[in-house]
Amino acid sequence: MRNFLTIILMTITTAPAAAQIGNPAGFAPDTRMQEPGVPADHQTNNQDRLFAQLAAAGGLAEVDLAKLAATKAADARVKEFAQALVDDHSDANSRLKALADAAKIPLPDTLDADHKAVRQKLDAAEGQAFDVAYIRSQIIAHQKTAQLLAWEIGSGEDAQLQRYSAATLPAVMKHLRMAQDIASALTGQASREIVAAKHN
Amino acid sequence: MSPLKLVALACVVSASAASLAAYSDPLPPDLTYRPLPTQPLSSVRANDEAQKPKVMKRQQNLLNKRYDLADKPIPDARMSGGQKKVQDGVRVRLPDGVTWDTLASMSPTEIRDKNLLPEGFRPLPHVKQATGGQVFPQKAIDEIGKQENRDLKRFDVDFDLPDHLTPEFPPPIFLTTHPELGDVSRGELLTIKNFYEYMNGIITPVQMEGLRLLLTPFPQEEFNQTEDRKVAQQSMGVACLDCHANFHTNGAFHLTPDVRPQAARFRLDSTSLRGMFNQQIHGSKRSLRSIEDFTEFEQRTAYFNGDHVSATRKGVNLPDRPNQVAMMAQMQNIIDFPPAPKLDPMGKLDPAKASEQELAGERVFMGKGRCGECHLPQTSFLDNNMHDLKLERFYNIGYTANDQVAIADGPIKTFTLRGIKDSPPYLHDGRLLTLADTVEYFNLVLGVKLTKEEKDSLVAYMLTL
Ligand code: HEC
Ligand code: HEC
Repeated sequence: MRNFLTIILMTITTAPAAAQIGNPAGFAPDTRMQEPGVPADHQTNNQDRLFAQLAAAGGLAEVDLAKLAATKAADARVKEFAQALVDDHSDANSRLKALADAAKIPLPDTLDADHKAVRQKLDAAEGQAFDVAYIRSQIIAHQKTAQLLAWEIGSGEDAQLQRYSAATLPAVMKHLRMAQDIASALTGQASREIVAAKHN
Repeated sequence: MSPLKLVALACVVSASAASLAAYSDPLPPDLTYRPLPTQPLSSVRANDEAQKPKVMKRQQNLLNKRYDLADKPIPDARMSGGQKKVQDGVRVRLPDGVTWDTLASMSPTEIRDKNLLPEGFRPLPHVKQATGGQVFPQKAIDEIGKQENRDLKRFDVDFDLPDHLTPEFPPPIFLTTHPELGDVSRGELLTIKNFYEYMNGIITPVQMEGLRLLLTPFPQEEFNQTEDRKVAQQSMGVACLDCHANFHTNGAFHLTPDVRPQAARFRLDSTSLRGMFNQQIHGSKRSLRSIEDFTEFEQRTAYFNGDHVSATRKGVNLPDRPNQVAMMAQMQNIIDFPPAPKLDPMGKLDPAKASEQELAGERVFMGKGRCGECHLPQTSFLDNNMHDLKLERFYNIGYTANDQVAIADGPIKTFTLRGIKDSPPYLHDGRLLTLADTVEYFNLVLGVKLTKEEKDSLVAYMLTL
């Protein structure tokens, strides 16, 4: 998985600029153009800047919570999932940081209030209750990340941030499905695919 | 209160405080609502025009990669007006190393894991997904320009499919109230200019007023008077029958009003309005329960992407329910399917009139192919239900193609198959170009493992409907 992500993240930067074509009605008024209709590298609009900050906050929190779960989870599948998140996100987060730096977008470096609240809840939970709470928090986190990435793909101006989003989204969808499957195995909650029951 | 209970109470309080905090999530402000443009029209237009050749090239590349777009008609099959040939053969391209039969012999999971689902079976992006909006075929633009002097040409995008893969234009019109007349279109496109002359004496006053409203342009997201438009001149807007040409379809498309964010919205190919009298649910996702509801709402959904706030800004038309909506609905409800002389009153082939191959096709349709379980012949090949075909069993969602993020289709309304040869491209987003494509699609989705002969007979059968 780690290799897979690194490879797509490497290829996206070399893809042609025509791969992303936004609605110019949403360009920032001070956009510098590489040629008419094509913003120069690292030119951003409001959406790009907000995206980078929210995605960084989410990425930071997912790694933080995954590190916790990788040691604290009772169920092996939850542990494995958490470890996969640590690996994948560390790469994705540093790639995002590089793009944001190039576009001069300041990124958060501490947990925001919402993720702190989740962290507190997880700190207080133990055993099976922890596993379920963690997985549920990750389902919500991945739902939100998927929305955020798709939003950037549709509304952004910085083609590299958009390509970063497009390259990251399949893995996020995959993690979302993994989390849903684990939640289904742990609690018996409905899922779109048949999952071997593990709850008792 | 015991100390234990107090502790429990404290926990509940802090837990609810935490979940309250979670409701204040920092989310982007324009995830759901349409953002206001940040640039004046002149600069948007200059950028859009500069981007246009690249936009069209990119879409052509995608189409050519997915499909064989050649003009290869079936020798003797024509659409109901007799002007246009029906296109032949499977057009969706297979990935290297597989045939339709080897593909059909694999499990959905194997196809997904090996990434073998043909791209032409997957969601089809809008020419310019980030902007979306209504796009009209050139023939419709020309004819409406000629008759009404109203410009439906966008400065940012053009229509993407070649003419031979779209419906006949203008298509014939058949009325339930006058079967003996046959096609009453006179081979012309109905417009606000000519409708009265052509329909005078054939339809009632109430239907006539409904027709007038269906042909009257009203402001629309891309065609209006504000700076947020995609047409050069200030525009009077769009009429219902600009897409539902002669109550059929000209293949105009836009993005579904029912999904957000923008990148995940699927393309919508205009549906035919023939046979609406028998349809109980309307819209691929909305499942509106009457033609009246759909008519009343179409000007905030189709016209404004399901964003009533944007509609309010650009000029919304709210047709009056007991009068105008009812009349528009009554006009739509007298539009018949094209004649199908080989079908009996129950929608079954008359063995005295149908060929051996067509009869064989009907047997596959009702039997091994399972088509008749959803497309019920005696209810106009509808079941008035939505079905989740679960295509995402066969591919990994979440990838981006021409700025569209592929997500699962979810439940979609069953479409009628009456007059089906008249309305390519197929499926809600027009991702399939020929009837032979639809047979391969359902063969895979339903796992029914049809032989080549059975597939050919199904196509022959569908041409009779
Ligand atoms: C962009 C071209 C376009 C215009 C203009 C347009 N429609 Fe539609 N219409 C569509 C499309 C596309 C659908 C399919 C919607 C869906 O699947 O959700 C549709 C669906 C419908 C349906 C439901 C048909 C079905 O099979 O479920 C009715 C009824 C309808 N339109 C009536 C109208 C009326 C009335 C107007 C004018 C107020 C109008 N349309 C304007 C494109 C258009
Ligand atoms: C489970 C119910 C179901 C079965 C069984 C089924 N269909 Fe359909 N059919 C649908 C639905 C739902 C749609 C619309 C799908 C979409 O737009 O994504 C559709 C669409 C179609 C269309 C395109 C209609 C249009 O106007 O674009 C054709 C053609 C078609 N089906 C043929 C067949 C054939 C042939 C079979 C049998 C091999 C078959 N269907 C079996 C539900 C079904």
